[in-house]
Amino acid sequence: MSTYVRPESLDEALALLAGGGAHALAGGTDLVPLQARGKAAGPLVDVRGLLSDGIEPAGDGIVIGAAARVADVASDARIADRYAVLAQAAGQAASPQLRNQGTVAGNLAQHVRCWYFRHPDLTCWLNGGDTCYAQIGEHEKHGLEPGDCISVAPSDLAGALLALGARVRVTAVAGQRTLPLEELYARPSEDHRSAVQLAPGELITAVELPAPPDASAYERAGERAAWSFALTGIAAARFGDDVRLAAIGLTNEPRLLAPADPLAGLPGLEQTGWKRELAGVLCERALGRVARPS
Amino acid sequence: MAKLQKTSVEMEGRYEDRWVLVEDEPPAWEDERELSVAGTRVARLTGPRRVSGAARYVSDVTLPAMLQAVVVRSPHAHATVELDIDAARAVPGVHAVLSAADGGVTQGENPIFTSEPAFAGAPVAALACEDDVSARAALAALAPRYAQLGFVVDPARALAEQRFQEDPVEDESGDVEAGMAAADAIVEAEYSTSAQVQHALEPHCAVAQWLGDELHVHVSTQGIWDARAQLARAFGLDPDRVHVTCEYMGGGFGAKQGPTTEGLIAAYLSRAAAGRAVRVFNDRRSEAVATGHRAQTQQRYRIGATKDGALTAIELTSVIANPMRGWINPTTIPARTLYRCANVRAQAIPLRIDVEPSNAFRAPGIMEGTFGYESALDELAALLEMDPLDLRRANDVDVDQVSGMPYSAKNLSACIDRAAELAGWAGRDALRDREHADGRQRGLGAACQIWWGGGGPPAHALVRMGHDGLVTVVTGAQDIGTGVTTAFAMVAAEELGLPLERVRVEVGSTRYGVFAPVSGGSQTMPSVAPAVRSAAFDLKGKLLELAGDVFEVSPDDLLIVDGEFVSLDGALREPVTEVTGKLGQAQLVGTGSRGPNPDGMRVNTFGCQVAQVAVDVATGEITVERIVAVHDIGRVISPLQARSQVEGGVLQGLGFALMEQRIVDPTTGTVVNANLEDYKLPTHADCPEIVVDFIDKPDPNASSLGLKGLGEPPIVPTAPAIANAVFHATGVRVRSSPITRRRFLEERAR
Amino acid sequence: MSEVAFTLNGRAWSGTVPEGTTLAELLREDVGLTGTKIACAEGTCGSCTVLVDGRAVLSCILLAPQAEGCEVTTIEGLGDEGSLSSLQRAFVEEDALQCGFCTGGQVVSATALLAANPHPTRDQVRYAMSGNLCRCGAYPGIERAVLRAAEETSA
Repeated sequence: MSTYVRPESLDEALALLAGGGAHALAGGTDLVPLQARGKAAGPLVDVRGLLSDGIEPAGDGIVIGAAARVADVASDARIADRYAVLAQAAGQAASPQLRNQGTVAGNLAQHVRCWYFRHPDLTCWLNGGDTCYAQIGEHEKHGLEPGDCISVAPSDLAGALLALGARVRVTAVAGQRTLPLEELYARPSEDHRSAVQLAPGELITAVELPAPPDASAYERAGERAAWSFALTGIAAARFGDDVRLAAIGLTNEPRLLAPADPLAGLPGLEQTGWKRELAGVLCERALGRVARPS
Repeated sequence: MAKLQKTSVEMEGRYEDRWVLVEDEPPAWEDERELSVAGTRVARLTGPRRVSGAARYVSDVTLPAMLQAVVVRSPHAHATVELDIDAARAVPGVHAVLSAADGGVTQGENPIFTSEPAFAGAPVAALACEDDVSARAALAALAPRYAQLGFVVDPARALAEQRFQEDPVEDESGDVEAGMAAADAIVEAEYSTSAQVQHALEPHCAVAQWLGDELHVHVSTQGIWDARAQLARAFGLDPDRVHVTCEYMGGGFGAKQGPTTEGLIAAYLSRAAAGRAVRVFNDRRSEAVATGHRAQTQQRYRIGATKDGALTAIELTSVIANPMRGWINPTTIPARTLYRCANVRAQAIPLRIDVEPSNAFRAPGIMEGTFGYESALDELAALLEMDPLDLRRANDVDVDQVSGMPYSAKNLSACIDRAAELAGWAGRDALRDREHADGRQRGLGAACQIWWGGGGPPAHALVRMGHDGLVTVVTGAQDIGTGVTTAFAMVAAEELGLPLERVRVEVGSTRYGVFAPVSGGSQTMPSVAPAVRSAAFDLKGKLLELAGDVFEVSPDDLLIVDGEFVSLDGALREPVTEVTGKLGQAQLVGTGSRGPNPDGMRVNTFGCQVAQVAVDVATGEITVERIVAVHDIGRVISPLQARSQVEGGVLQGLGFALMEQRIVDPTTGTVVNANLEDYKLPTHADCPEIVVDFIDKPDPNASSLGLKGLGEPPIVPTAPAIANAVFHATGVRVRSSPITRRRFLEERAR
Repeated sequence: MSEVAFTLNGRAWSGTVPEGTTLAELLREDVGLTGTKIACAEGTCGSCTVLVDGRAVLSCILLAPQAEGCEVTTIEGLGDEGSLSSLQRAFVEEDALQCGFCTGGQVVSATALLAANPHPTRDQVRYAMSGNLCRCGAYPGIERAVLRAAEETSA
């Protein structure tokens, strides 16, 4: 079991995280069970008390503190009213207790749910090994495009926030930066075996929502009526005539799709053709829900 | 009078003639007798303790200086392993290490630990440690080194290579070729069912401790007496030196038999650790890879019928992956017995693959077989353009098609009629053809069920009463969550003429010396409840004798009504305590046992379920909106708990139908969804409205209570009813369970 | 070792636990409150649900020191055998349990639900309770119990 540290200040926390190897712990819903399976080794630095959990108006938008619980996002009346896609995504993520425990930042930075990645007896490519077991094994719930890894983005919030054009505040010993959410993610590479593009020691501190869209909606498919990570989640937001469409569950990273031809370039794999069909239907429905009333 | 009698004893369809100890049985409750407790709504007696967190489950048991066991399991499907046993033993805080190197550490005939594990999850060693720190150090010191060997986990390959677990079995009756020739229509189809894991929420667990030459074991089990017998055999002990306790346990569903591997490991480790108490508590992964499952099957049917629906021939081959050793899951029984058909050929092929052997899971074999058979009959009905329920009615039969014996009672037609009425079957095509505001397509599907559940001897009970007039029912059964203890109390209260509040029940210990059978095969109620009644009847006779003496009247002129002695002429009315108050600390004890089942008859349970589904055809999302379940189990003693049993069975059947499947990786041979995130159990949100009803007519030939078991019946028809409803709603026939979005969408695209 | 102090069922509790100890382990092994069950130990089934500052959370994946300074309520804190809460009574009366292993967690989640939403609809109950798995299938009984308790509270 890893060491647990509760620093007194954010600076102390950032210093502890700076070397890399340590993990920022907030809700712990991802890290604690993952470490119990022998993954994501390293000390846990409890930052929850050091980060804002507020949901506050800022200009035309809203700023959500990194430590806000997913459940708080789901039940916030202003978010439900103005950013429906986000409330819907937050309300369907994981289970009620996990939403009570898990934070917004933790949700955005969570590890993939791939059952080979999380397999206690295997070390897959994403874990630093050589083999993507999913490609040669059971991958009916995996992605639609080939690659070194075919696991998929799990965060419902990421899909919704991507459609909304949210930005993320990140801090580290070296300083702060604010980046568009799409830059928080990229396909994992030989040198960076994660879709989350935080540098070692970097910590998400807040999410900025821009001015609300004119309409937004989340379409999601799970494996049962509730408490299922998304097979795929499709988020749509319309700002005037401009529609932003984003998907989780289809590719390594949460991805913006072209509304005109959402699944272009995503051929589907041997066992995921059905999922492509499903995603196509959900894209259509999400776009339909945000379409300008004629 | 106790006597030994040779009689036919049944367990999940296996019949054998055995000597059993039986005592005289009271006459049946006459139909006209007014029952005041049996059949009424009674809350579970253990409820307050369970809802407050006070019930002490096996996994809550701690004993002084208790050690924790760590079971080391092979991560590979097939390998050899080398271990540094001595190094592990040398670690401070480690009190015992057991492995294949230790002779005589067995479960039945088989060694528990192996140096050549043949499935991923197979135990290779176990350690008894003081704490997590010593456990981690010991695991590091043990340093298992595996050399991987070839394996087969794909049933198709196992079939091609003829890797048989046992020899295939063929049963044939009549003339199948002639039957097929006489058919106006023949349906031919292949179905498959996935491996379903029991996943009781309390993992397998046990605490064992040696006190001198006595072995004390707390174990989460469905059978304390089997546990006692097998532990005694394992250690060469007189069974009376073994004490097994299971006061509260968190579910079994077939997976917790006898001492369980965990109970044996705890006992062996405790012996090796100089008798110190040892706890084994499985993690969830172990539950998923090493404690059993419902075997995966593939079933091919050819069924012929005349145009009026009469079945003329059935031919079926059922391939079962890793059936239990020594018993081939009865997947062919539904086709052979559920309806009338003279010409049947059924072949069962038990394959061996390199995953853990399957074991019993609620209606083992029957439930999988019913999925195939009742789906196939639905296809036949479509081919004949017949109402699917009319097809079933047309083939109803009162005689067991295998033995030729009549059923002790059978009300399947009444179940079908009642289920059809409650489900609105007559309007099913209108429901399907209507456009629904939510864009979904709706339909109804039905399936029927046969199961045994007659129970039988041996089963015993003791009922005692003290000076305060309170009654304790004692029997060596265990309450695995079915609520049988409440039903036992109701039976005793009814028989004794006492208010229910005066009766308590003790189960879950072999120390009482009162034998009761394993909680399996739907036999606890039909076996033990009559014994309880018999014991209460015995006690009542003794009590009336005493009352006769005290009140100077003939015992024959006395009744006990609502806790009072009442004379037939109404002149005498005295509380029971007027007599028992004179007992001092002595106890008045009645004993009773279950009598034999009737000769020349088959005692079975029947039922019919109708499912209503709503399908989002474009996304493959299937919602079960309602299940109507009507079962014929003879008399219902405790309707509240009986309803819960049905609801529970339906939900496990729904899981099997729509989401549950254990998935084995073809490359590594390991289970990829060995947890409750990836292995999907139904949640609250998946739960349909479940309408439960019973025919509730005592079976005149089944024991002095006329009741049969209910553990298995409700799980049996749910999955095919759902599959048939999906077909009715959408025209898409999915022949594999579970019917996931993927399977539905792929089948629809075909 | 970590030092931990919090309020447990209305009383102060403090102690020292080994690194990596979860709140569920602390409750069961150090305090002896075994009504909180460990069934999956990875936050997937809800049997270990407790209230932390009024929220229903999974104590099997909450490290004990994460509860520092919090108000923790377990099933034992909601009513004992002799004085059941109205919700616990409704569970008994509606037979909302079978083996009872998940029941503590179910009662805790339902308590949180009714505190936040005293008059839930059937669907709200179904979704709010979806993180509490029951393998015996007591869901219909639990729904009836929660709705009954809600009704009795308003009466």
